[in-house]
Amino acid sequence: MQRLNNMKIHFPKNNGEIFIKSINDKIKNSFFPNTKNFAESFEQILKSRTHEQDFIINELLNGFVTSKSKAIASGNKVPVIDRMVEAFSKRNDFHIVDHQFFAMFGNPNKPRSYVKKQLEELIKMFGLISKELTVEKDLRRSEKKVYTFYTFTDEIIKILEKKYIIIDSELGQARVSEAFDRNVFICMFLANIATNQDDIEKIGGPFTINGISSIFALILLLSFMPKISVNETNPILKDPSFNENTMSVIPKSWMMKQVLEFLFEPIIKIVAYRIGGGLWLSKIIDSDVNKRIHSQIRMLLKDVCRWHLGQLVRVEIPIFVEIANIFTEILITGNASKE
Amino acid sequence: MSYKRKSMRTTKSGRKREKWTDLLPRYLTFISHMRPILRETRRIITNLDADLLMDIEILDTIRQEEEKRNIRKVRALSEFSAMYRSNVFEIIKDFIVKYRKNIQMIDIKDYIIEFLKESVDALNILSHITNPDETNLEKTYLYRLVKFIEEILFPRGINMKIIYKKLLEHSINFYECQRHLLQPHTFYREKINNPDFFEIPGISPVVYQIINNILSLYNLDPNFGEFPEKKNHEIPMILTNDVFLPYIDSIANAEEEAIEKIAERLGLRIIDGIFLAPQESFIEILLENNYLRKNKQADKNIRLIPQFSNETLILYYLAFASQRRGFLSKEMINWISMNFAFLIYMGILKWKLSDENIFYAIFKDLQTNEKILPYLMKLICFPNYLGLDKMKIRDSPQYRKEIFNFIGSQIDNLKDFINEIAIFCEKFENKKYIKS
Repeated sequence: MQRLNNMKIHFPKNNGEIFIKSINDKIKNSFFPNTKNFAESFEQILKSRTHEQDFIINELLNGFVTSKSKAIASGNKVPVIDRMVEAFSKRNDFHIVDHQFFAMFGNPNKPRSYVKKQLEELIKMFGLISKELTVEKDLRRSEKKVYTFYTFTDEIIKILEKKYIIIDSELGQARVSEAFDRNVFICMFLANIATNQDDIEKIGGPFTINGISSIFALILLLSFMPKISVNETNPILKDPSFNENTMSVIPKSWMMKQVLEFLFEPIIKIVAYRIGGGLWLSKIIDSDVNKRIHSQIRMLLKDVCRWHLGQLVRVEIPIFVEIANIFTEILITGNASKE
Repeated sequence: MSYKRKSMRTTKSGRKREKWTDLLPRYLTFISHMRPILRETRRIITNLDADLLMDIEILDTIRQEEEKRNIRKVRALSEFSAMYRSNVFEIIKDFIVKYRKNIQMIDIKDYIIEFLKESVDALNILSHITNPDETNLEKTYLYRLVKFIEEILFPRGINMKIIYKKLLEHSINFYECQRHLLQPHTFYREKINNPDFFEIPGISPVVYQIINNILSLYNLDPNFGEFPEKKNHEIPMILTNDVFLPYIDSIANAEEEAIEKIAERLGLRIIDGIFLAPQESFIEILLENNYLRKNKQADKNIRLIPQFSNETLILYYLAFASQRRGFLSKEMINWISMNFAFLIYMGILKWKLSDENIFYAIFKDLQTNEKILPYLMKLICFPNYLGLDKMKIRDSPQYRKEIFNFIGSQIDNLKDFINEIAIFCEKFENKKYIKS
């Protein structure tokens, strides 16, 4: 109750200083850099990658169940993105051939339509470029065949080479390091949003805007949530997988539909406005589809937090701690000035 | 009139070789070709003057000479041997080139000999993993390893309560592995609404999300209704509609239609056509494990309040699959046996090879895996071991590639488990040694 009261008092202060600070310092800088240059934005997002951050973003985007065809981290049929990472890792020049890609899903000469469709969608979404190679006589049927290569733009390749290519100087070989993973593509996806935030169609329409705003609203809300101290006799303390130092129990009452709906809507709108301005805000309308997108975020909580004997447990990862610290700081300065 | 003789075969080709005595030699075939190559290479390196190793071309000449001695008639085997030998020599060459400036040649030679010795030892264990007539079953690595892994990931028991308890005991350390066993990567081949009611498929990503939704709803917004089998008791219930509320674009339509079947696998049931509530037998398990708390109401009714953990429903699904292992879907059988085979194979490698062994890459290579693991998978399915329907294991090379591709995408918990298996192997051998 006290936390709710504090939120009520401090959230509107100084034109929403808490939100401006939290979103600008912790979310925008790391996930939506203020630049129109795709490569620059990609580099900045890539730099702010940490294991914990990857986990959160990955889990949240993974759980984006409604994004049937637009999901980048999970496929309805096959985890295409994983295969894409695998295909790119096999060569050291960050090129893949459509034929090689199709071979991962069956006969490459008769690729299934959904594999072709998903590949095309992913290529578009990540801003990859294609190059064609015509072979006069292929080995199989001695027929003319056109192969399509997909690769990154030159600027992105330079960044990737710097970060993910390991050159064995003795052997003179170059290979893609194990650090090259699906999160590189997620960074591409975020960079695409950051640079094209004014072009709604390019970033996947209102769907993406609602989804992204909801995800970061959830991160904000989770960071603002208070810890509760559990009774000494609570069975959760005896649970070997519960670590008191890195985990905290957050009140379940905050997760009730009635509370979340009330808190969620304005925070989604604030996040949308701070990231994409009036254009994004105008897309957060109370349509049925949007309501469903927002309500599924409530389900996603389970992927970020864990349930331990009916208690919701937050793992204290840096982004939560940093945003919580901003809130506490403003709270303390607010109280001090009052005195 | 055709004079062509009619085939008398009634079964599909290849199906006749499904007896233990047929499968074991097939499993041993490639291993028995790998071991001599490594032993011979070790002999060559041992006899070679360390300074000669400086010249890489000498190794090429030796390899070419060795290839000439190839007298095998079967094309697949001679091709595999050539590939294997050339890989071994390539790795040795790379190792020499990489370290010849920093490490003395005599030490490099010792390292290579040691790595080869370890590899031969590992292959030795793999080739003596069991015996042709399954005598002294309990003394064989295969039996003991399958039972060790089975107890943690897929235990047997006379009832659900016992199986669930066993799973829960090990979930502290290996929950991720237990969950992994239920999530075949070829889920897109499964039919969620199979006409065969008893068939148990794996958990697809959508079903996994649905399980998460159910769990969250039980913990957050449960309704309470009368316990049908017990008077004055109330059990938690959630609305089926609430579970599917967040889905748009018919994404979860198939799951919504099959909710009754999914519910059964999670220990739940549909009440009044709209509520999802735990089954009577599951309520007992939940109470025993502190997942339900009794609360006496003012109206003297006892209300069972849910306090579920992440593993509560998933472990029931796993226990259910384990108890009804005869009804598992084709994908599940392939996935489970592949994971068991992989864990046994990697556990033995972890035990015998040092982490820096340069030949690890060959053992983990897809080409080696697909020569050993498919037969190991079938051996594991025999009644004395996992007791799964081995006829459902697919022989298609394309399918093998499809599932073995995912072997690489290990989860960290799986690595911990492999370490545990390696420790078990060590202990088991020490025990054998002391007894003998």
